[in-house]
Amino acid sequence: MILLLSLAVAILFAAGAYLMLKHDLIRLIIGMVLVGNAANLFIMAAGLQRGDAPIYPLEDDVSDPLVQAMTLTAIVISFAVSALVLSLAYRVYVAHSSVDMRELSQAEEEQAVLDDQAAEAPEPEPGSDGSPHTGEEQLEDELEVEEATRS
Amino acid sequence: MMVLPLGILWFGAVLLAVLDGTRLKNAILAILILTLALASTIWLGIDIWSNGPREMVIGGWERGIGISLRIDTLGILFATLSLFVLLAALIFETANRVRARIFPALVLFMGVGLTGLFFTGDAFNFYVFFEIAMLSAYVLASYGETPRQLRAAFLFIVVNLLGSMLFLLAIAALYHITGRLDMVGIETQMPLVAESPATLIATIMFIAFSIKLGLFPFHFWLAPVYTGTRPSVAAILSGALANIGTYGLLRFGADILPRELDHGAPVLIVLGVVSIIYGAVQSISRQSPSEVLAYSAIGQVGYIMIALAIGGEVGYFAVILYAVINALNKGLLFLSVSMRGWLVGASFAVGAFSVAGVPPAAGFLGKISIFWAAIDDDAWLIAGLIFLGSALSFLYMFQIYRRRFWIPREDEEVSHIMPQVIVAAMAIGLLAVGLWPDPLLDLTSHAVSGLLEATPLVENQP
Repeated sequence: MILLLSLAVAILFAAGAYLMLKHDLIRLIIGMVLVGNAANLFIMAAGLQRGDAPIYPLEDDVSDPLVQAMTLTAIVISFAVSALVLSLAYRVYVAHSSVDMRELSQAEEEQAVLDDQAAEAPEPEPGSDGSPHTGEEQLEDELEVEEATRS
Repeated sequence: MMVLPLGILWFGAVLLAVLDGTRLKNAILAILILTLALASTIWLGIDIWSNGPREMVIGGWERGIGISLRIDTLGILFATLSLFVLLAALIFETANRVRARIFPALVLFMGVGLTGLFFTGDAFNFYVFFEIAMLSAYVLASYGETPRQLRAAFLFIVVNLLGSMLFLLAIAALYHITGRLDMVGIETQMPLVAESPATLIATIMFIAFSIKLGLFPFHFWLAPVYTGTRPSVAAILSGALANIGTYGLLRFGADILPRELDHGAPVLIVLGVVSIIYGAVQSISRQSPSEVLAYSAIGQVGYIMIALAIGGEVGYFAVILYAVINALNKGLLFLSVSMRGWLVGASFAVGAFSVAGVPPAAGFLGKISIFWAAIDDDAWLIAGLIFLGSALSFLYMFQIYRRRFWIPREDEEVSHIMPQVIVAAMAIGLLAVGLWPDPLLDLTSHAVSGLLEATPLVENQP
């Protein structure tokens, strides 16, 4: 039994780790969920023993209830995190219209170049307002206007 | 009384979760709740200072079976520090207008997670509180909700979730080999455990906490996240959340797995040295101020690692002192670098002096304590390196100062007065700690003696 469980943990973890190295955000999230489930199975395996259900009054050997309580807590937490990550992935998709990691890191690099230029520029260029995050602030303003119209 | 800070924060957070945080009165309510929690933590701290650590088993179970809260000076010190940084960031954001209705509630939830984690005496409960703090940090990282912040939040979640999973695996493994979940119980069982599984667990735990701290080989997530998030969130992440890493390494390393920490010392020294050099060199080569600060944070972790590797009374003393002062520095710097004005400029200069370790500011204490620890250990090379690192940090901090505050740009407005006053108050606090260090030093040595004293043997219970 313990061999089967450790095999399952190993396969889940390997599959999760493989998916986490992918460029696609959705695969990456599925990979995270798999790794989380590998961890949950591992907790079960940590207290694995044969026995009756641990309900009072205790008669024979009972199985360890603590690992099950821990696993349940860990499942709940990883469920919450998965929901959060999925909603965030959706927001990233709306903002970039892409779920490809390469395009996201490209956007990150462009942002870094912009930041460096803003930090280096000794004098504000004529015609621009010189603030470092022009594009973003515009976007924020647009969002605020949108919110105001909605409410 | 022991659950008072936790209870205030928990009920406050739940209450604020249903209120609209963008309204000024709700944000002020959150500030009041956080202040109350901070005050009750300090009150609890005064009691523990005079009467020693307190322990409580929840639900009236027997000791060793129920989930326990165990509060000592170390926990109080870190809880007070984290709540203080959270409070400063919350007031700062309120003064700048809160942009998301959930923001104040999230700050309080993070307060719940952090105080719970510093107060708990149960390893699995540590994980649960850790996840509460991390979950609110995940949402906070996306605060502002521009594409840049969404990217930063995504990266932050992916990397830190993997770290949390590793930590969970380590807790499960600890339970498997010791059969206990309460920290005191694990600590008493640990010497009986064979060396190889214990070393494996210690390594996994070290990696998990290093990811939170952003130590050198695990630092890759840190710079985009700290630069991408809003200034108040960056201050929270680096000033409050990163304390988990230091506290966890002290609690699980120095307290529960001292033998394994001792074996790992050479690795810690190498990683610490690489971190210091890497952080300093990257900081000097970067242009944008928040990026410089982010890389500087990687460098600062290196000092903590070196002090942890030296260990013993002087080493742990240096770890705690340095971590406390570093958290305050980072909170101040990340908040002030986003603003303009002479008051902010002066506060930034105080923070910069503190990072560089120049005497009137508190950072000097942290640097000198690590210096002492290195000399005590006859590690002259490391003492020299600390000196070099301080000189480099002086250089990069004043590069920012020159670019940011020295030559005011005409087109830029001076920030509102209220946020300026907050960072100025933090700067005055740093100076005050530097000029009158006795209370902090006493607290730190009290925390160290609590960490080092032999745990009373508890009867073995199933």
